[in-house]
This record gives sequence, structure tokens and C-alpha cells, in this order.
Amino acid sequence: MTKYHIQVNEILDNIQKVIIGKEREATLSLVALLADGHVLLEDVPGVGKTMLVRALAKSLNCDFKRIQFTPDLLPSDVTGVSIYNPKDMVFEFREGPIFGDIVLADEINRTSPKTQSALLEAMEEMNVTVDGVTKSLNKPFFVMATQNPVDYEGTYPLPEAQLDRFIMKLSMGYPNETDELEMLNRTDRKHPIDQIYPVIDKNQLLEMQAVIEDVYIDQSVKQLIVQIASGTRKNNYVQLGVSPRGSIALMRAAKAYAFIHNRDYVIPDDVLFLAPFVLTHRIILRPEARYDGMTQEKLLAEIVEKVDIPVRKELHG
Amino acid sequence: MNNTKYSFSLSSLIIITAGFVLFWEWLRPLEQITDTGSMHVFIIYTAFCFAISFFFKNGWLKFIFKGIGLILVIDYLFLTGFLFSGEWIAQLSMELQYNLQIIQQANWTEMSPLFRSFLFFILLWLMSYLLHYWFLIANKFFLFVVLTIFYLAILDTFTVYVATTAIVRTVLIAFIALGLSRYMQLQHLGVPIERNKQNFFKWMVPVSLMVLVVVGVGLFAPKLNPQWPDPVPFLQSTAGHVGFGEGTSFQRVGYGENDSKLGGSFIKDDTPVFEAYAKERLYWRIESKDVYTGKGWERSTELDYDPIRASRIEFETFSFTEVETTQSEASLRYAPESNLSKVPIPYGSSFIVTPTGVNLFQDMESGMMEVEAGEQNLISQSFNILYEDPSFNIDQLNQVSGSDPDYIRNQYLQLPETLPQRVHDLAAEIVKEEQTRYEKAKAIEGYFGSNGYTYQTEDVSVPEQGEDYVDQFLFETMVGYCDNFSTSMVVMLRSLDIPARWVKGFTGGNLQPDQENLPDGYNLYEITNNNAHSWVEVYFPEVGWVPFEPTSGFTNPTEFYQETSGEALTPEVPEEAVEEELAEDPAQQETENVETAQEENSETSTGNDQENNNGLIWLIGFAILIAAAFILIFWKRKEIRDWYDKRKWGNIAKRMELDKSYLYVLDVLARRGFHRNKGQTLRQYARLIDEKMGINEMMELTLIYEQYLYRGSDEKVDKDKLRRLVQKIMDQIFA
Repeated sequence: MTKYHIQVNEILDNIQKVIIGKEREATLSLVALLADGHVLLEDVPGVGKTMLVRALAKSLNCDFKRIQFTPDLLPSDVTGVSIYNPKDMVFEFREGPIFGDIVLADEINRTSPKTQSALLEAMEEMNVTVDGVTKSLNKPFFVMATQNPVDYEGTYPLPEAQLDRFIMKLSMGYPNETDELEMLNRTDRKHPIDQIYPVIDKNQLLEMQAVIEDVYIDQSVKQLIVQIASGTRKNNYVQLGVSPRGSIALMRAAKAYAFIHNRDYVIPDDVLFLAPFVLTHRIILRPEARYDGMTQEKLLAEIVEKVDIPVRKELHG
Repeated sequence: MNNTKYSFSLSSLIIITAGFVLFWEWLRPLEQITDTGSMHVFIIYTAFCFAISFFFKNGWLKFIFKGIGLILVIDYLFLTGFLFSGEWIAQLSMELQYNLQIIQQANWTEMSPLFRSFLFFILLWLMSYLLHYWFLIANKFFLFVVLTIFYLAILDTFTVYVATTAIVRTVLIAFIALGLSRYMQLQHLGVPIERNKQNFFKWMVPVSLMVLVVVGVGLFAPKLNPQWPDPVPFLQSTAGHVGFGEGTSFQRVGYGENDSKLGGSFIKDDTPVFEAYAKERLYWRIESKDVYTGKGWERSTELDYDPIRASRIEFETFSFTEVETTQSEASLRYAPESNLSKVPIPYGSSFIVTPTGVNLFQDMESGMMEVEAGEQNLISQSFNILYEDPSFNIDQLNQVSGSDPDYIRNQYLQLPETLPQRVHDLAAEIVKEEQTRYEKAKAIEGYFGSNGYTYQTEDVSVPEQGEDYVDQFLFETMVGYCDNFSTSMVVMLRSLDIPARWVKGFTGGNLQPDQENLPDGYNLYEITNNNAHSWVEVYFPEVGWVPFEPTSGFTNPTEFYQETSGEALTPEVPEEAVEEELAEDPAQQETENVETAQEENSETSTGNDQENNNGLIWLIGFAILIAAAFILIFWKRKEIRDWYDKRKWGNIAKRMELDKSYLYVLDVLARRGFHRNKGQTLRQYARLIDEKMGINEMMELTLIYEQYLYRGSDEKVDKDKLRRLVQKIMDQIFA
């Protein structure tokens, strides 16, 4: 465990060099990556989303690809296309940007739903089928999709079912003044992204992911997850609560989070900390909730405040 | 910490009203068991206090209003001057000065009624405060319900107060209020019930229905008889008749030594005292008394016990040489629940055989025989008594010629100087046609039965200050029981210069039919407290003391015979019945005999220790004591809690199990106001505690516990480390 812990800290330090003051988001991104999930970053342009992903990719020595989603982007621009090679007289598959280890899908809500779903299906199924040929994606495969807040013009909001595929939704927010000043200082001469070096390689990353699978999560903590999930379904403001997929996501994220904190077991704190990031984008509120000033974040905070934390060991058998 | 502030609502109003009604149950009995008058004022003041507590939130306002109420009530009850006039203030200050002196002298019984009532009002005030806190702030209704039921049970057992309906009322109100209290509690606990009318009725209607049905079933269902013997006689004997239940004019029937104040009604008590094997129903004599005080009987000399040696009873009431006797045997065995330490013996007893280890002592003056046993169980064995059953020859009694010895005259002619003349006159009137001492005695003995004196155990009065017990019975009340009849006869005989004394003991008891394994001719009789009795002995020169039975409805079991008729009259056809009463009212005599065989011969010479005002003082003292205890507990609750927690820690530290210790720490912290909120993880909580107490052991401990709890593996815990951590936290808490 300790070996991994050092590595994890180094990765986080690397990211810190590039993105100043966004420790939490960096950690959560790493959690998502280690939990074999994908992240949706919702924020205005220019707050360092790209830098975060690039720093992550570089630290892990992974192949970094970027797709800039535009309204005229086609699904084949994402997945790749078969091109006829007149020399060999065959159709040759040209891999699209999705065949990277870490993919930044920038401004995903600016493209048409058709293209969006090409990406999201690939994320879910871990392969793409082009012209009847199925090709597996890389391992590890981590997508960080960004979107502008939905009320900007000319966007196609992601359908709810698709949102569910992101293990968590983050938002960076502006840095505070001290952090911003520090950022200016660092980027004065040479961009810090060029100064960081890989900490681990892809195989080590996969090894970590395997170790995380073995992180122990007690029955009582699982019950806590279920409690939260069912809490969202019972609430009067909620039209659609957290799906079982959401519960699974929370569990996986909690395991990765425990791993990052050098623990081989999950504690309720992990679950409670992650719940807002993992669950808010999976809840659809009723229209009247807005009138009462209720948001997903508030609602989840209320539910988390009232859960029963297990403090006694339940003895079985 | 105190997030359970209540708000005015229908529910809290109902709760406080129910609380008041329950508290009312506490006050109700006072009217009966003490001499408290004006009960309604006390109740109105209590209601007033409850209302003030409920409607005002400001402590000072409450204090002022309750204080004003108290002054008004005292004014209404006791003071004659106008409120706050010079006279009024003078009266009040006099009262206060007087009572403060009394208190300094610790002369509690002398306190004036005003001051006693004042103290009682203060108590009511305190109670209103305490109960208000219990019901509405602490939301603890149950404790008071339990206390109320205890209180009623104790009163019902030890006093004349009958709590039958009170207990029904209490249960009815208490359970409905408990249901409501629970409803309110649930809301404090955060159960999402919206507090509205609809939910209130949804909750309360089933609760009320259920309570009503249960109470209804309870009312109409058949009930068991009492499963335990009445504890009163036992307690009375151990406590030496100190009982706050012995109010103004009630006593329980039974043998008691103190007869200095006779009179008053008594309550039946069929607790068995002893069983007797005998051929016939005998009078069991315990002692005689010689000094009549005008109120009751006392001894002229202190008891002086001589040991009984070789089973030989030296004490004689009559001369064996002068009186014809038949030798008989009887035996007695004390009932397990009995606490009688005297040995009742039949007339003419000469030998008594006791179980080994039992020693007997007898006072030669009164005949009182005391039993002393090394081991308690010896007493439950039989005492065999050999006695010379006397048959008095009426001719001989009529013809006795000698004069009474001086020592008899000195001792048994005593009368108080205060005895009204009309008693002397009446005695003289009754016997004016009689010649001999026997005839005079018979005339007085029979006088009561034929002159409208009624045997009755209830509504029997106690002589007032300056009144004579006998005089009151003979000329005013004319109702009473054995003590009245026998004392009157003794006093009248003495006024006629005939030596007589007052005797106490038991009547023959109830025949227990169908007993197997009894020797031929023997019966088993059960003697209960109801059989306690008193009668008369008249001195005849040469013959000795001859028993007489003046009480209406009772027959003297002693045999009398006349040589002229040549036959002995059996006790079943008593002599006086033949001579006088049978002729006058045979039917009545018959029924009385039947009643005698059952339990109507319940008689008394109880220990009447009553002093009229004592009841209230006892009760107030008791109540103040309890209130003081409560206040002390409330005051010292933190110390008590610390003491309890430390004690518990001692136990836990021995085993040092991780989960027990940790949960204990949580408990202790919660009791000191550090509640772990819902949704607060252990770490968050630990961080908070550490911050507050300026330590870091709580976090350290929590991390260990967390591993134990969530890691799924059972790793051994370093107990020393654990102990050190918990100890540190404890030190910090108790510091």
C-alpha cells in the first residue's frame, strides 16, 4: 500500500505544479481515473481543465488525445474511419482520437447528440464498431469531458441517461487571488506542464486499478450507500433518483478514494465526501423544486446530513 | 444542548393538564388521611401554579405571580385584616416570629396551621416547577406515572384511603398522556411526522381507544384476591406503631399494648395470629390493666417478668382450692404471619410445654407472658397448655363473706377524680335492688344489652379534651365495641366499691371445620386479629378473679353453675342468656351467637397511638423530604452522573474491549452535551471533540475503532495503548 501511496502523492504533486489551488478537483479526477470511470467537468473556459488532464496524462505517462467538439463534428471524427488504401487495395481503419489512453472531450455539449452518443457508447462498451469491425479501446481509458454550463447559447445538453455514464461531475471554478498570482508567477517564463515528468506508467496504473478492486468495503458501509441512494428516490422534490448504477459508481469511487488515502478499507467519510460529486448529476428534480430554491447539491446535503452512520459492529452468525 | 424547547400547542396543554390531574391524585387522599381542610384551595393553587408555569416563559414573572398567588391564598385562609393593612402585616409577622422560634426549638408539632399550610403551598409551588420541567422540557412523563401509582398503592395499603377509583383514573389519564408524550417525542427525534391536526387525531384516536378498551376490560374482568398478606401488622410491630397512616380516628384491629387512649373506629383485619387446638371455644387471656385514666388504661407498676420454670405457671387468677375445675388440655401455634410475642393462655392454666429453645417470662401482676425464642422458627411449633377449666359456683359467689384484702382494694378500686358523678349515680341506680357482689356484677354486665347500647366498630368516637371515655359511652354515644363495654363495667363496679380490672386477650376464634388427624373431641380454631377482645374480671374474696363479659353480642365461655339446680350450664347455653337476655330478645341473641361464630366478634384493643395532628405533619414532612431528595438529585445530577460514569469506566477498564470502551466514550460524551449528530461520521465527531477538549487522543482512538469497525478483519488491539487513550480522554472529560 505504502508504495502506491507515495506514487499517488507524487502524481498529485505533479498536478499541483500545473494547476494551483485545485487540490480537491485533482484528487477527484485521479479517483475517477483509478476507479476506471470518466469525469464530466462543467465549467467556463479557461480555468485550467485542459491543463488538469494533460498534467494527469503526463504524470501517468499515458497517451493523451483531445477532441474539440463542434456542431459539425461527425461520429466518425471521434471513432475513426476506414479509408481505402489504393496501394494495398484494402480499406484501412484510421483510429479516431478516441483510441487514446486519456481523452479530453472538450465542450461536449456543443456537438450534435449523434456525435455525443458515439463517444458515450464507446465509453460504456469500451469498444467501437466501425463498418462491422469491432475494435477495443485502450486500457486504461479515461475520458474527461468538459461542458459549458447549459444555459449558454448553441448547446445540446447531454441526455440524462448519458450523464449517468460519468462517474462524477466536477467543476473547477475560478482560482482565488493568491492562487492566480502564483499561477502567473509560474507561467512567467516556461509553462510548468513542460517541467513535470511521469511518475508511473500505464502498467503500474492498471496494477493500481487491480489493487483498488480488492479494497474492502464493509457491509455496513454498503448499506450506507444504499441509504443515500434510496434517500434520493424517496424525496418529494425528485423526479428521478439515483439509479443502482449510481450506487455502484459511488462504491467504486469510495474504494479508489480510500486507496488514495492509503487505506485498504472504505470508511463512511469516503462515501459522504464523494456522494455529492458522484450523485448530483444523476438526480433530476421536479420543476417545482426550482421555485423552492432546491438544487441537487442542497438536496443531497440534506440527505447526507440525516443518514445513520454505522458505529456498532453488527455481528453476523 | 437543550434543543427540546416546547411550544404552546394543544398537545403540550393536554400533557400539562394530564400532569395536573395526576398530581391531583396525590392531593386527594390528604383529606382523608390527614386533617387537612379547605382542600379545594390547595387544588386551586396547584392548578394556578401549573397554569403560570405553562403560560409564562420568563422565570421572574413566574416567581412573582406564584408568590402573589401564595400571599392571596394565605390571606384568604387565615388572615382577617385587609390585605397589606397594618393589622394584616402585624398578624403575619407575629405568625412568622412564632414559627421561627418553634423551628429553632425543633418543636415541629407546635407549628401554627398558617405556617404549616404555608410550607405545604411552597411544596406545591416547587412541585409545579418540577413537574412542568419533567413533562414539557424533559418530556419525561413516565417516571411521574410510576411514582403516582406507587404512591397510591402505598396509601391504599397503609392507610384508610381506598385508591380503587383513583388507580383507574390514573391509568386512564396516564396512558393517554403517555401516548401523546410519545407523539411529541417522536417529533423531537426528527421522525418526519408533520405536526398538524390530522396527524394528531390519527395518533390520539387509536391511543385513546386502546386505553379505554384496556381500562374497560380491566374494570370488568374478574380479579384475584390479594396475593400477599397485609403487611401492616408486621410493619406496625417493627416500627412500634409509628405510622403516618394512623389518622384521626381509625385503627386496625389487633392486639396492642398501648391502651392509654381508647376509642375511634377500627378496620377489620383477618390476619391469622395463632391456631388453637381445644375442646371448646376459650377466651385467651393475655393481660389485665388496673389504672383507668379517663381516656384509657395503663399499668400502675412496670412489667416485671419472671422466667417460667419447669413449665409451671405460677400466675393464678382464681383459687384452685375454692373453685371447681376440670383438667383440660389445649395447644396453640403461632401463624407464620403473626408477630405476637405474648402467649395467650386459657383461664386456669397451670402448665405450659414449649418447644426446646423457647423461653417464657411472665409478669405476675398482669399475667402477661412474653415469649423469647432464639430462632424464629421455634415459635411456629406448638405450645401445649394444661389448664384447670373453672366452673364457678354461683351460690358460692353469692355467699362469699370475707372482705377484700388491702392490696386488692388499693390497686383495683382506683378511679380518676375527673370521673363525672353521673357515672357513679348510674351504677348505683343499676344495682339498687341487688344484694350480693355477684348480683351487682351480673346486673351491670347485663345492663348494656337491655338498654339500647349498640355494638358497632365504625363511627365510634374518641373522647374530646376533658371528656371521660366511659361517660361519653354511657350517656352520649351509646355505641361502641368491647373496650367501651368492658371499661364501663369496670369503672361502674369500682364506683360501687367492688374491685375489678380490665382484661385483654383473644376470643375463641373461628372453628376450622373438617380437620383430619385431630384427637377425639378437639377442634381447630383460627384466631385472627379480628378476635382481639377485652373483658372484665371481678374480685371475689377467697375465690379470686372471676371473668365477666359485658359486651353486647358476646357470651362468656366461663362456666357458672348453681348447686340448687344441680347442673352445670354449658357455655353454649350461657347462664346470663337464661337468666335475662334470652327472655328479652331471644332472636337477637340467636343471631348474635351465629355472628360470633363467624367474624362479628371482631374486637379490639388496638395500639392507638393516634395524635390528631400528627398525620398532616408526618405527611408534610415526608413530602418535603421527597421533594428535597428530588431537588438534591436534580442539583447534583452532574456529580451523580460523573460518579456513575466513573464507576462504569472501572468495569470497562478491566476488560478493555475496544468496542465497549469506544461506545462507552461516546455515551459519556453524549451525556455531557457532546451529541454526535446524525450523519456525522466518527472522524468528524472525533475532530470536533479533540478541538473542544484540546487533545488528539479521540482521533487516535477513533482511527483504531474505525479499522475495527470497517476493515472487516479482527486484528488484535493493543490494550495498553487503548487504555491510555481512553484514560486520557476520561481525564479530560472529568477534569
